[in-house]
Formats: sequence, structure tokens, C-alpha cells
Amino acid sequence: MSEWLESAIARAQGINDWLAPKRAHALELLANTKWPTRKTEAWRYTPLRPVERTQAKVISDKVNLSPVVIADLSAIELVFVNGQFDQAQLAKALPEGLSISLGSELGSAEKADALSIFSTIKPERHIFGLVNDALAQDVVVVSVAEGVEITQPIRISSLLSQGAESHTRVQVVLSAGSRLTVIEDVQAQGDSFNTAFVEYNVAANARLEHYRFALQTGSNVAIGGSHFNLHDHAKMNSTIVGFGSDLSRLDTDIIHAGEFADAKLNAMYLLDGKELFDLHATVEHAKPNGKTEENVRCIVADRARAVFNGRIHIHRDAQKTLAELNNRNLLLSDKAEINTKPELEIYADDVKCAHGATVAQIDKQALYYLQTRGVSRSKAQVMLNFGFINELIDLMPNAALAEWIRPIIRERFAQMEVK
Amino acid sequence: MSNTKSLLTIKDLHASVEEKQIIKGLDLDIKPGEVHAIMGPNGAGKSTLGYVLSGRDGYTVDSGSVTLDGEDLLEMETEDRARAGLFLAFQYPVEIPGVSNLEFLKASVDAQRQARGEDAITSADFLKEAKAACKQVNLPVAFLKRGVNEGFSGGEKKRNELMQMLLLKPKLCILDETDSGLDIDALQVVAEGVNSQRSADRSFIVVTHYQRLLDYIKPDFVHVLSDGKIVKSGDASLALELEAQGYAWLQKEPAEDELEG
Repeated sequence: MSEWLESAIARAQGINDWLAPKRAHALELLANTKWPTRKTEAWRYTPLRPVERTQAKVISDKVNLSPVVIADLSAIELVFVNGQFDQAQLAKALPEGLSISLGSELGSAEKADALSIFSTIKPERHIFGLVNDALAQDVVVVSVAEGVEITQPIRISSLLSQGAESHTRVQVVLSAGSRLTVIEDVQAQGDSFNTAFVEYNVAANARLEHYRFALQTGSNVAIGGSHFNLHDHAKMNSTIVGFGSDLSRLDTDIIHAGEFADAKLNAMYLLDGKELFDLHATVEHAKPNGKTEENVRCIVADRARAVFNGRIHIHRDAQKTLAELNNRNLLLSDKAEINTKPELEIYADDVKCAHGATVAQIDKQALYYLQTRGVSRSKAQVMLNFGFINELIDLMPNAALAEWIRPIIRERFAQMEVK
Repeated sequence: MSNTKSLLTIKDLHASVEEKQIIKGLDLDIKPGEVHAIMGPNGAGKSTLGYVLSGRDGYTVDSGSVTLDGEDLLEMETEDRARAGLFLAFQYPVEIPGVSNLEFLKASVDAQRQARGEDAITSADFLKEAKAACKQVNLPVAFLKRGVNEGFSGGEKKRNELMQMLLLKPKLCILDETDSGLDIDALQVVAEGVNSQRSADRSFIVVTHYQRLLDYIKPDFVHVLSDGKIVKSGDASLALELEAQGYAWLQKEPAEDELEG
């Protein structure tokens, strides 16, 4: 076991709150978990040295930070600053049918409900998920009442000052037939360490639109997860945009717990320098008639390293499942690296499941075509790289977010080309 | 006419693709405003000529010279050739999903303006121009928003090429088998577009296998390309002759190795 984990466990011992039984369980599991090494399959390409060496510290003094402004986006802001829920930044009046509250401040019935979901959607195999179970100080619960459509998106921001450590945790509950959009974002100022996990319970016929932005770069360590439980006829559409950092690791788990659920996941990541980004996406088709469509695209420049593990598990009862996983990668330099592994486990015999993974360099024909129109080679490369990602951005249902992220990505490509 | 300065001069050009010689001593002289048709059987090197002139990777010039407006074309990068006024309309235009047609067209126009020392065109002005060009080539304006050539039919792709030509206003247009895959209506639209662009300071090389296109785009000269060089030149009537008699009468006795192959 690493020193870092030992100290984390030691710090967690003192916490005694409404989550005490869950925290105790996580600590028990942690005590029996081996610190991942290169031989640990889930961490094979993602060395934990940056965690072992982090100097990040919990900052308990109040710091004023606010999330970036996104033009044309009017969101309900759920803000954590250095791991603390900043209630002052939450709107006083919320739309009817929506509640956002610290778990510790819920009434006893709601608390019991929240407790029954906590850490049941996020699988226990994530070591840092367990750390988050044990250490997340302010756990926030968001819930939408039955049949209610909340048109304003909720943005969950985890903001970190220089050198800060934080562990944030949110539970989002969509009751039957409700609709909600949630944006997850982490903004860190450097030398930070964070774990940020959100669990979503999407009840029958509910619809979730989800975004996760992991745009922190440089000397930040960011580990997190978005985990979804889909009941009968539930629908989700998720978009993930990631830049790398010293260590960025994201796990998503989509569980088809009901029939006729429909999940779309579009993920794109763009890495430069010596950055690393690791996406582990798992889909569990536990019930029949589910549908999953996953598109993951990645561009790796310089000496950066990308990891993608896409697992689809179709259980024996999950007949008539339709699942598609498509992973395409572009390498921009000889030293760039991509480790991609589609993993299909199919135990039902009447399913359609397709997967593909490609690693390529830039399309030379397209490059030539652009050049014959006078566009310089370097500009053409930026356009093509951007186009590769833009196809997925075009699919983002929220126009304000798409318009916001486009120039940010364009800027990143322009930087990639300079080197 | 002989006093006019040449726009394009190709002298004894030899070029190869993957070590295989395709162009074997080609000469061609084009003056401003002229339309030259290059006809020939499959495999004669018709498309290769366009690729060599535009500087495609993998197409190597072994010897000979090419000047455009007096400048050494072969020394230039592909993009600089375009900026110098060369335009190649592709037989099979490339699809580029994710890059919108409008963005692509503007980047092309801006690159060429920049090369002339002009400022980039404003988005609003460009949109106006692009919409007008759409209208002229009979493409719905919605095509500006789609990915470059993405899911376009054969005819739509050709019209998109034509639209680029309208916006870029090149000095020399090479139309590479523009008629292939077009029905008669689409062919007419494309031909009308080309004809509308004919002017005293713009020349065309119309590469085609069939005479049909030349009913609509009347050439000043017709050349027959066979086995990498021009074996016969004439006026528009040569095209009709070819249509009637085929290419066989112009081809030399096949070489021995070809007989064996």
C-alpha cells in the first residue's frame, strides 16, 4: 500500500456522519485493496506516480472561486470549492420539482433513500471511488420529481486552487418520466489532486442529458467517474471532452438495469505534451432490449499517452441488445501513444454487438485536397484534426455548450501544431 | 496569338508514380483564355497530369519543366501552386466529414487572399458570396453547412468543385473527367458554370474520355494523350473524329511486353 493511500485512510477514520456505514465499508475494502501497479489490469498504462508524489493538501480555509462563464448558458450552479459545497453560489429559488441539498441536511426519509443509492451505481472496483466514498466531505443530492422537466441545465463545478486536494461527490436522482441536463466540470489551477464522482439513477422513462468536461491540463491529477443506472425505457445522452494532464483518469459505467433503455456516449480527448488521459468506459447490459451507442475519438500529439478501455458486457438475459462501440484515434507524432482495448463479453445469443478500433495518421488525401485549394499544410492539419472531433461536437444537443467548446478545441489544435 | 505570353508551358515532362513512368515526354503550351481538351484512352496518364501539375505526394517529376505565368511551377508546394492560380477540379472529390463546406471554402479563399497581401474576407461578406455561388451552380444553400462533400451525390460533388472555382477565380483550371458519373442535366449545369467562367485571362484544360462534354464546353484545341505523351493535336473537329473512330488508330504498335501482359 502506498503512503498516500495510508494517509488518506488515516484521515478518513475521524469522519462520523450520515454516511458512516458506507464510509466504513469503503475503508474495509480499501484495507484489502492492493495499490495498483503496472500489473494491475485497470491501471496498466496509467502509472500512479503522480499520485504517490503529489504535494496537494486539503485547504479548509474558505477560498473564493467561481466557475467559468459560458456565453448563452444559463445554468443552475452547483459549486464545490476545494471540495467544499459553496451553498452561496446556488440559486435561492430552484424550479419546482427540483431539489439540491447537502445529504446531511435531508429529512430522514430522503436521507434513507439517498443512502440506499449511494455507492451502488459506482462499482466497488474503483480504488479511487472508494477513496472518494471515504473522504468526500460534502455529498450533495440532486433530485427531480416524477414527470418534471427541468429545462435549465445543472452545472456541477469542482474548483480547485493551486495545490489543493479535493474529493467531491454528487448523487443525481431522476424520478420516473423526468428530464434533466447535467454538466460536470473540474477546473484546477495546478499541482492539485481531485477525485470527482457522480452517480445517476435514471428511473423509468426519464431522460438525462449529460456532459463531462475534463479540461484541466498540466500538473493536475484528476480522477473521477460518472456512473449511470438506467431503468425501463430510460434514455441518456452523454458527451465527454477531455484534455490530459499529469494524470487524468475517468471511469464511466452505464448499467442497463431496466429493459428498453437507450444510452449514447460520445467521448473525445485531445492530448499534447506529456499528458495522459485514461478513459475506462463500461456498459453492463443486464436486461433485454437495451441499446448502447458509443463513439470515442482521440487525438494524441507530441509524447502524450491515451488509454481507452471500452468494455461491453451483455448478460445472459439481455436478449435483443443492440450495442455499438466505435473508437477512432489519430496520432500526430511518432512518440505519441494510444492504448486502446475494446472488450466485449457476450453471454446472450440474440444480440447485435459491433465494435471497431482504429489508429491512424492524418488522411493524406484530404490534406492534399485542402492544399490544392491554397490552404497551407499546417492549417489544413488543424482543420482536419478539428473536423475529426467536430463531428462529435456537432452531435452535442446543447448548442450553447457546443459553441463554447468549439473555439477552445480549435485553440488547443493550434497549440498542438506549433510544436 | 503567338505574340501573347503563355500561361502554362510544359516542356518534355517525364513523371512517374511509384517508380512507374506514366508521363513520357509531354509538351503543351497554353495561352490566356484558351480552352484545351485532353482526350485519351484509359491509362494514358490523363489524371496523372493533373496530379503532377498540382504537386501531389507520390507523383515524381523525373525531368522536364513546367512554368505557370513564367514561374517554375514544379518548385512550388501544392498550396503555393493554388495561390499562383492553378485549380484542379477532381474526378473524385474527397469527403471531409466534420469540416463544413463553408469553413473549407472560406479557408481556401482567405489563404489565397493572404497570398496576395489582402485581408481575410469578413464572414458576413463571404456568406453572401458563397450563397450566390451556390445559386449559380444550383446547389441548395444548406450544402454550405454540411461536411465537405459528405454524402454528396456524384453530381453534387462536381457542382461543389465548380463552386470552389467560382469563388477562387483561378487563372488555370484543370477539369479532371468532370463529366464522369454525371447525367445529362448535371452535365449541362456544370458546363454552363464553366462557360460562364471563360474569359480572356482564364484558361482551361478539360480532361475527358468522351467527346460528349465538348459539345457543351467548346475547346479551342484538342490533344490526344496516349502512353504518356501527346500524339496528335487539332481543333474541335478532332474530338468528333475520335468519337467516330475511337483511339486505336492513334496508338502506336503495342510494345512487346504489353503484348505478353
